[in-house]
Amino acid sequence: MVNSEKKGPDIQKLLAPAALVILYIFFCVFGQNFFSGSTLVSILDSTYYVGLMAFGITFVIVTGGIDLSIGTNMMMSALLGGYMLANGANIWLCLVCMVAIATVIGFINGTLISRLKLPPFIATLGVMMMTQGFGSIITRVQTQRFPSSFDENGAYKTIFYKTANGFPSGIVYMLVFFVVALVLLKKTRIGRYTYAIGSNEEAVRISGVNTIKWKTLVYVICGFFCGLASIVYAATYTTIIPGTGNGLEMNAIAAVIIGGTSMSGGVGTMSGTLIGALLMSVLKTGLMSMGLQGHYQTFFTGLVVILAVLLDIYRNKRAARV
Amino acid sequence: MSQMQQSPMILQMLDIDKRFQGVHALNKTKLELRQGEVHALVGENGAGKSTLMKVLTGIYTADSGTILYNGEPVSFSGPKEAQEAGISIVHQELNLMNHLTAAQNIFIGRESKGFFLNDNTINGETQKLFDRLKLSFSPTNKVSSLTVGKQQMVEISKALSFNSNILILDEPTAALTDAEIHELFKTIQELREKGVTIVYISHRMDEIMEITDRITVMRDGQYIVTLNTSGTNLDEIINAMVGRTIYEEPKTASNVAPGTPVVLEVKGLRSREVKDVSFQLHRGEILGLAGLMGAGRTETARLIFGADPRDGGEIYKDGEKLNIHNPSDAVAAGIGYLSEDRKRYGLAFDLSVADNSVLAVLEKFTHSGFVNEGEIQETTDKYVRRINIKTPSIFQKVSKLSGGNQQKVIVAKWLIKDCDILIFDEPTRGIDVGTKSEIYKLMNELAAEGKSIIMISSELPEILRMSDRVVCMCEGRLTKILDIQDASQEIIMKYATQRN
Amino acid sequence: MNIRKILATLLAGAMIFSIAGCNSNTNTGDTAPATDESATDAGNEADTTSGEKPYIAIVSKGFQHQFWQVVKKGADQAALDLNVDITFDGPPSESDIAIQVDMLKSAMDKQPAAIALAALDTESVKEQLEACLNNNIPVVGFDSGVPGAPEGSIYATASTDNAAAAAIAAQMLYENTDFKAKLDAATADAPIAVGVLSQDATSESVVSRTTGFIDKLVELVGDENVKVSGHDKYAKDAASAKLLIVVNVPATTSATDLKTSAESLLATSGLAAIYGSNEAAATGMLTASNDGSEFNSENGKFGEIIAIGFDAGKTQRVAVENGWFYGSVTQDPYQIGYQAVKLAVDAINGVPAASEIVDTGAQWYNAENLTDPSILELVYD
Repeated sequence: MVNSEKKGPDIQKLLAPAALVILYIFFCVFGQNFFSGSTLVSILDSTYYVGLMAFGITFVIVTGGIDLSIGTNMMMSALLGGYMLANGANIWLCLVCMVAIATVIGFINGTLISRLKLPPFIATLGVMMMTQGFGSIITRVQTQRFPSSFDENGAYKTIFYKTANGFPSGIVYMLVFFVVALVLLKKTRIGRYTYAIGSNEEAVRISGVNTIKWKTLVYVICGFFCGLASIVYAATYTTIIPGTGNGLEMNAIAAVIIGGTSMSGGVGTMSGTLIGALLMSVLKTGLMSMGLQGHYQTFFTGLVVILAVLLDIYRNKRAARV
Repeated sequence: MSQMQQSPMILQMLDIDKRFQGVHALNKTKLELRQGEVHALVGENGAGKSTLMKVLTGIYTADSGTILYNGEPVSFSGPKEAQEAGISIVHQELNLMNHLTAAQNIFIGRESKGFFLNDNTINGETQKLFDRLKLSFSPTNKVSSLTVGKQQMVEISKALSFNSNILILDEPTAALTDAEIHELFKTIQELREKGVTIVYISHRMDEIMEITDRITVMRDGQYIVTLNTSGTNLDEIINAMVGRTIYEEPKTASNVAPGTPVVLEVKGLRSREVKDVSFQLHRGEILGLAGLMGAGRTETARLIFGADPRDGGEIYKDGEKLNIHNPSDAVAAGIGYLSEDRKRYGLAFDLSVADNSVLAVLEKFTHSGFVNEGEIQETTDKYVRRINIKTPSIFQKVSKLSGGNQQKVIVAKWLIKDCDILIFDEPTRGIDVGTKSEIYKLMNELAAEGKSIIMISSELPEILRMSDRVVCMCEGRLTKILDIQDASQEIIMKYATQRN
Repeated sequence: MNIRKILATLLAGAMIFSIAGCNSNTNTGDTAPATDESATDAGNEADTTSGEKPYIAIVSKGFQHQFWQVVKKGADQAALDLNVDITFDGPPSESDIAIQVDMLKSAMDKQPAAIALAALDTESVKEQLEACLNNNIPVVGFDSGVPGAPEGSIYATASTDNAAAAAIAAQMLYENTDFKAKLDAATADAPIAVGVLSQDATSESVVSRTTGFIDKLVELVGDENVKVSGHDKYAKDAASAKLLIVVNVPATTSATDLKTSAESLLATSGLAAIYGSNEAAATGMLTASNDGSEFNSENGKFGEIIAIGFDAGKTQRVAVENGWFYGSVTQDPYQIGYQAVKLAVDAINGVPAASEIVDTGAQWYNAENLTDPSILELVYD
């Protein structure tokens, strides 16, 4: 019984990377101008902020929870950062504050869910709407702008997005924090407890672990990564429009699910999430390169998500039969 | 089994008394354990075994009594404290995190200090534990990939990792295969040799005879006797378990005349918990269904009532085969079921007596879409009088009635529906003595009127008082059908514990 | 139980009364029939005599872009000048049609003296327009207005003639010497392409600006020489086209999708020019080109490509200032807001509309004329 189980998960683990490679090749063949450096850079560009959000929410989903506020949290942090900048603050301070603000929102989520026992869906839905409104309130619905690369404070773009030669430095930024997230999840206590809580929270509690504290920390981590995402979002898109961000969380969640993390908790990998995020960007860009208009992209992305979830359910059913 | 009389007392629970809302759960009961012995704790359902263990591990606080551990009085505030002191319990439902490995489960919350985890350390420690128990699987196996038996071993190892002196095993073999039971017994031997004291709570007499040194019998919350396993036998144990004085007269003969037609027959009922059960029910008969927890009686009833899907078997009413796939089929055939959990399955607690009574037959009172309140009230009044339901009015919310009267409302519901076969599951559980006899009276009246009753009960005196015949079940199998004159507490218990 | 039944009946009765009351007159909240007499109070006259300022509800298409903030500025000023109260509201994004309908309904519930509306989708608000017509609440259109509205339901519209504005862009492109040269050199076997990035294919203004641009370009270059592809709405075939117009409408209005669409157009082979039909589209083009700097003709990655935008916003202005964008067409959002309120006041006062559309104008701006004060005030930040 022990040996036969070993084969199962390995195949599952290879599915997502395989799908990514197959999809990429498919679009290279059938897409117009897909196989090029600029397309690759374009794919990466749209992956950075989704990827970082996805890394953060992987922790949450592995515990069996959910966080709907990551999109608007990221946007609000970027908005407030831009607002501070417009009022004369130093750009680096602004960036640090953006991360801090997003982390605080994560802490609020964690407290609501872990200590006050609100269901994650409800709590983060409320926080989502609040952050969406709050950003607009503070900035009085004015669009906030970050410096362009040729502006005085444009150096941040070089670090977080792209250098003058067009090298996508954003990928370095994303990969660095990918490794951080990976190590956290696999090699530290918070990671272990994340899996444990997702597997059987009551058993963890009975074992004497302070599940309230650790579960709160999971949401704090999620908020922190939203903050990281807000930096790279600002660096990529420069203009931050209030009242937006709603819907971006779905892309991040889809990435996590496609990557093999189960919504029921206890299962998931960080590398899976990275693959999932890349897969979605490839899909989006690839469909466009085939001349398929916007509606096709949303349709196929949704289809892929459903397939990923079905696969997840099927995998759980098989495990239950053991 | 080696003689353990000379080794010291490691635990003494003396004069433990505990009441819950009028129920005397533990009545000056005691338990004494010698170091290194395997000590069985037996008793019927509700005898107080798990309550006693909960008092020991601090989940409950006794109203009075002393616990001496290694000669010192102790009082634990909760299972964690008890565990740290060396008393661990492995529950019937395992508390494991399936997605983690065995080692990770055992050492959850006790990982090495420092920012980064080092699984090598815990794997090493776990391997040591496994070696002690001569376990063959690896600390790095995910718990989800292990069989239930091996999962249990993980729990036992976890308990040992706390250097437990006393290990309580609650129904350890319920989910194990024979081979796994064999392994477990080997492990128990290993532990005994290392000086660990084991409390073995189980209904399986054959296992108890094989593995234990001494047996403490509890009954109705009281300590009855402690026997040396080598010096006793099954009859003596069973006698101790059930040998209470019964105050009511048991039925001496069946009320059912020979030749009375069979109104319900089940043949070969099969599901996961029910293994090939067949019996007949005569008109006007009260058929008792006896057995211990896990015997499969409620499961059998639910199969008859269509509440659970069956894998096989047939149900006949008045000789005709019934096609029961869900409760409405059963109700349409005239079968009513009063489940043991009134709150969840019997009544709509926020509705009134009247509304509950007509729940099964609302269409009888509905004309062209409108519900006729007047008719409902009339009918309810009639039945309230007939079965003497004590309620200030028929509009009273049932949540405000006493347990016994709530039970009567459910009976009214099925009577209004014109059910002629009634399945009572633990009809007097949680009901005071006075109302109990009213329920008995009601059941007898119904039987006399020609209704047929299947009564599931864990109370042997009740079975003996009410049944015309007794069906004994053990672990899903029907072990014996007794005529009432041939039945006694001991005989029923013998068949309720007969595992083959 | 009986008391409950009586209460329930009373409650139901009260609800029925209030619904009847609401429908029969333009009253607020009162259920007792006695207040029928005040039915004529709200609704028709600008009641300056009673000392209360008339209230105009403005429902715009969106709130996101700086454009709307300037519209609001104009509206606020007009409110001050003409002594009226206004509220200015809009859905969070220009794809939130349902939210705009809800906003319109709440605006109507407040019993305004008039409503100014820039509809995302006329069909969705037809019912509300009928209701306003029946209740004598005049509706004024602004920006894209309410195209295809039921007869007589719109008093007048203050807007840019979008088709004409877009035609300016096409004209300027055609007159660009580099573009002319490329066009002349192009053949059916080696055609050149012009990319058109449009935020959506539903709102009247964006659609007009897309068709306006395409139609003008087709007119200038010659019908048989131009093929249009990329979106079903604007498709046009031509056997031997030497100019391919490629339209790209992104999946959503998110920044990511606009950027990806822009990148896709920029990767089109033989691309000579790219045109964005509103501020969002222009923003997409800007983020895809490092805030426009890659259109730098000296050494920019897209230096060969002529970029033309629409509306303004700081980033776009900078791009035009630096010559990266060849130029952009701006509307006069301030006037749009101002005129909207003015038209509403006229409607309230019963002044017959001078014309159906009040053209608030459009201007081409580029690096040269940006210093001109009259242009500068149109180009908002």
